Amino acid sequence: MDEEQTGGYSEICGQCGEVDWGVSDEGRFYCRSCHNVIERTKEVVDTNTFMIGTSRVSSISKGTKRKKLEQGREWMVCEGFQFILKHQAEALLAMGVCPQFKDDVLCQFWRMYLQKSRQAYTKNPVHDGKFRLRSQGSGESESAPELSVMSDSMMSASETDGDGDWASGGGSVSGHTSDGVSSVCSGSVDAVSYLTPRQRRSQGLMSMPKTLALCHLALLWAREAITLADLLRFVNEGHIPYVNAYEGFPEEMRLYGRDSLIFRVESIPSYSHLHKEAQTLAVFLELPLFPPITLDCLLHPTLLTVRYLTEANLPDELHDWVCRIMEKAGMESSVTFEPMRSRSPLPHYDVQAAALIIIAMKLLFKLDDHTEWDLSNDASDKNKENPDGNSFNLRRWYRTMQTALTTAARRQQDNIARKHWKAQKPLYTSKKDKLVVLKRRRIAEQLQLSFQKLSGSPVAPPSSPPSSFCFCWGEEGEGVRDGPSMHHHTLDSSVRLRGASLQPSNPEYWHPALRACKPRFCKSHYAEVEVTLPRMYVWLLGLFSFLLGVKPGCVYEEVLKVERRFLRSSKSQPRARATPRKTQPKKQPKRKQTRKTCSR
Amino acid sequence: MDDLESELRVPGEELGENESSDDDESINRKRIKKPNLPLAPPIFKETPRETGFHKTTRNCLQHIREVLLHHRWQDAAEYMASYSQTLEDTTANMPQLYAEIIWRIGTEILHHHPESKLEDYNSFYERVKHSGVKHYLKVCLEHSFHLLVNGQFEDAKRQLSIAESWRYGKQSAGQSQRIKLIQAYSGFLDYFIWSDKKATVSSTDEYDAAVNQEMHSYFRQSSVNLKEIMKLPGVWDPFVLSYIDMLEFYNDHEGAVTVLNDYAYDNSFPPNPNAHVYLYRYMKKHNHPLKKLLKVLKILHTLVPSHEMMPEYCSLLLQSEKEGDLQKALGVVLDLLDYSSWRSSLDVWNHLRNIIKRLRMK
Repeated sequence: MDEEQTGGYSEICGQCGEVDWGVSDEGRFYCRSCHNVIERTKEVVDTNTFMIGTSRVSSISKGTKRKKLEQGREWMVCEGFQFILKHQAEALLAMGVCPQFKDDVLCQFWRMYLQKSRQAYTKNPVHDGKFRLRSQGSGESESAPELSVMSDSMMSASETDGDGDWASGGGSVSGHTSDGVSSVCSGSVDAVSYLTPRQRRSQGLMSMPKTLALCHLALLWAREAITLADLLRFVNEGHIPYVNAYEGFPEEMRLYGRDSLIFRVESIPSYSHLHKEAQTLAVFLELPLFPPITLDCLLHPTLLTVRYLTEANLPDELHDWVCRIMEKAGMESSVTFEPMRSRSPLPHYDVQAAALIIIAMKLLFKLDDHTEWDLSNDASDKNKENPDGNSFNLRRWYRTMQTALTTAARRQQDNIARKHWKAQKPLYTSKKDKLVVLKRRRIAEQLQLSFQKLSGSPVAPPSSPPSSFCFCWGEEGEGVRDGPSMHHHTLDSSVRLRGASLQPSNPEYWHPALRACKPRFCKSHYAEVEVTLPRMYVWLLGLFSFLLGVKPGCVYEEVLKVERRFLRSSKSQPRARATPRKTQPKKQPKRKQTRKTCSR
Repeated sequence: MDDLESELRVPGEELGENESSDDDESINRKRIKKPNLPLAPPIFKETPRETGFHKTTRNCLQHIREVLLHHRWQDAAEYMASYSQTLEDTTANMPQLYAEIIWRIGTEILHHHPESKLEDYNSFYERVKHSGVKHYLKVCLEHSFHLLVNGQFEDAKRQLSIAESWRYGKQSAGQSQRIKLIQAYSGFLDYFIWSDKKATVSSTDEYDAAVNQEMHSYFRQSSVNLKEIMKLPGVWDPFVLSYIDMLEFYNDHEGAVTVLNDYAYDNSFPPNPNAHVYLYRYMKKHNHPLKKLLKVLKILHTLVPSHEMMPEYCSLLLQSEKEGDLQKALGVVLDLLDYSSWRSSLDVWNHLRNIIKRLRMK
């Protein structure tokens, strides 16, 4: 299209739908693909430019500059990721994370990553000699940052301010090539070498899911309260840029070709995948022991369980039981992450907290489809006798929770169906695709507009501000709520006073059958075990898996892990491990355990 | 939706299934024999490695289907707005499928939505036309049908002429059938416009040269197209009628008879009883000799013995004085009475009575 002549006229041709205008000899506009002549003439355009000033003359002189702007400046793929990380960090700061997170933690992690993967701050960069020969300036650009960050990247505070660092860090890495030779098939300089099989196999290179993994590690280091499940939820809701994050790149960075393979996102990674990435990344970066998660940090199981108890509308008294279980299982020792120790993998903080709560409920209510209903009958009788008393009734809780859960699940399905994946500025893989891609984008947008007009309501559901909680429990008349709050209910009917300590009324505890499997080969037994489990238990697993956004099998495995520690720690070992019977009466050891912990 | 595959699977293989976990299910499916019935391709099935984008579109389509079945047109339009992003899918060949889905569902919604107007239809069709290359002509045809049905003859004609001038290399070459159809309807529309003009001409008393000229030019255009189309074997009933109407108006009787004869007697055309009916009616209107009429009706009788014109044939035969015709008439009437629908017709029985009376008299 003749930009100069048509003056940027970009209406769609009525006949063929293309935007490819030219100016004929008489000065009339015509569509170059279907030769449709329209009414617009060039004289009109001319008077406009004349009125603006000497723009016509100036456009001639600025011709080369504008061309250069079109081509953009050269950039490396890691610069792109740097921008993305920066935007993600800013989004997290906007949500209330402490400011040191961005500059002191995430930035340092990123620099360490660049160093470890030999993309910057290193004597021998990962790119091949071809690049080195092309840019004579690469040698001097690398020596400068080399000094600052080699050994004490962790300890030194950043010299320049945060923003400048981010922008200039990229500049120093890319160097300055003498002529504007960017590779033909991608906007960035090194996308081709980025994607070679060797690089892929080494798995050291950054990818979109890895940005989230890096954020998670940085959040963990900074001891922020955002768990991995929360992070994924924010990404899903769009509060953290991830899908189409490349739209935040500055104008000069052009993306096309192979870049689209790197930066285009069509799925949000699952919890387990991201967890593995975070683990691998931590080992790759050779991070030392993380700052300890103590009781004042919201990630500590004690405090995290409070949050989940509130979310699940369970009574606050349950928290004592959770703490007792936590102590018994000796969770303190494994709460802080140490990457270099192979025996301590990255803990699933959120799933672990959920597991603790589930075990507490199992302890109190047995959850075998019989006992809990009997206990709730007792509770309702007690409530009838004593109208002021607020005994926690499992049946009532289940009903409230189930209605809220189905509504929320339906809403989530709806949101999935309406989610927008495609960007305003689409990526295209090759020059000939560009026209097709742009045309499709235009048509899709127009169709969307016409349907929107027909439906009379906006497409995007009004996005709610980011919140840690999925449900809202409160009294009637308090605004939007999912149901009556049960936090203040007491566990009278579920516990009994024996001697000086409280013990659950339910004397039994069950455990699914265990078997020996090869630890690395088998993935998850949940699918086959699920049919044998009591329905209430399965429902509870489903509830927590919905709240966290993980598969029920993941929660199930975590429950098994915590149970193993919890039950193993009793002094007198019952004939525990591999008995196939479901109900294992553990009266004796149970009493001993509880007495022990409560005797202080 | 029922899981037809699991129902069709042999019960013995059910046991082997339970031992797999979620992740191994895809491998297990390969081991199980596929049932031999032609099942429709599942659009709602979750593939093991689908992206978030595909999951979104699959869910969206499910929701749309549900909402359409419940006739909630506003909600359907909302979901369709989100569904239009499927046109940008980068998987090969998928955008064509999606374009067709969007087209069909969109027209359904427009038909039933309480607030849809003609402009909405127009803009929708314009956009859908450009969304896919293979169905451009089909959409053009549908658009012009819609305009035709709503009485917008001029717009319909314009759409068709745009469609006629469309060229896209291999695509247009392979769709010659559709182009012929477009040509036919173009001629047909010209006829409609012509008859409109004829009505205005006849309603006003004074002679308006411009309108007359237009009328004649439309006639010419129309006849060119229709003549072309008549050469192709096919069933062109409405087109024939319109052509004959125009030719009658211009008093070209021989031309009309030729056209009708070609239409009825050309062996390459599929056997069409209507053709003979038209020919007969025309001949009757213009007082052709009885012999010819009988000839036409004889062929009609062989084609469709229970045709509604058979009693008329019978009465014609009785009118003629030839000996053999009486026998033929008897044959015709008895053939008619073979059919249960004619048995209750008094007319036919009367004919039979007359014939027997006559035969008795001999």
